[in-house]
Amino acid sequence: MPPTAILPAPPLPARRSPPPASGRIPGNKAMWVGIFCEVTEFALMFAVYFVARAHHPEAFAEGPARLSLLAGTGYTLMLLTSGWCVAHALHAMRQGASRRSLRWLFGAFAFGLAYPVIKLFEVRWNLANGLNGDAGVFIVTYYYLSFNHLIHVFWGLLGMLWVMLRTATGAYDAGEHSGLEAFACYWHATDIIWLMIFPLFYLLG
Amino acid sequence: MKPTRKLDLTWLLLVALTLASAALAGRGETELALATAVAAVMALKLRLVCDHFLELREAHPRIRLAISLFCYGMPVLLVLSTAFGPVLARLTSLLVA
Repeated sequence: MPPTAILPAPPLPARRSPPPASGRIPGNKAMWVGIFCEVTEFALMFAVYFVARAHHPEAFAEGPARLSLLAGTGYTLMLLTSGWCVAHALHAMRQGASRRSLRWLFGAFAFGLAYPVIKLFEVRWNLANGLNGDAGVFIVTYYYLSFNHLIHVFWGLLGMLWVMLRTATGAYDAGEHSGLEAFACYWHATDIIWLMIFPLFYLLG
Repeated sequence: MKPTRKLDLTWLLLVALTLASAALAGRGETELALATAVAAVMALKLRLVCDHFLELREAHPRIRLAISLFCYGMPVLLVLSTAFGPVLARLTSLLVA
């Protein structure tokens, strides 16, 4: 018997996907229809913001000082960190490391969940300081945009639970993970919209 | 540079820009100067997220175009609406009247 016959077989290299092709549709078409609907919806809301600001410049100049900059910065940092974790999760999946991908998704969920938790505290603080629906055009516009964004974050968190379940059950691998990629696109698009809302309402005072 | 290293550096830069922009709040010499600074930081952050997290550079050209228009349009509109606020108010007076 040759000596090599009793040696254990060398471990197979992890199956990796080739780098994403240029010019493709990341994730799937359906998700991009959803993302374009989201972008259109917020483009209209931003138009409302600009018109309201043009008509009430004093209210919008004084408005940001009435909101909690700490809460606004907190949302931004949590969403950016969650998006970073999702980007790592996708990268790990492309390397064929699904357990590592799942760990990154847990991190992304924890940071993403911090957003509604901060929102809860911020709304309580706002109401304690008289910032309700009768507090003027700036606050009404703020609630209009930020609560709409909160709804999109909720959809994203539900979607994240779904891709975590799919990852945990081995539904994705290095070659086929379009569902995870589609979710990542949605989550980053939601992040992009917050990166616009944050300066408009918290910084321009 | 390793792709994961690039992701980490992007995240660090985004955090630094967020904290720097929070320090900008209410510090503009004029409303237009503050809006311009805020718009510049916004554009930079959007570019970082689009390029490194959303991987927009590898996406279909129409997706790239639409998202880029949205992301670069917003900071431009912010500066223009600040510079020409009274004009915008006059043009949209029928909407608010």
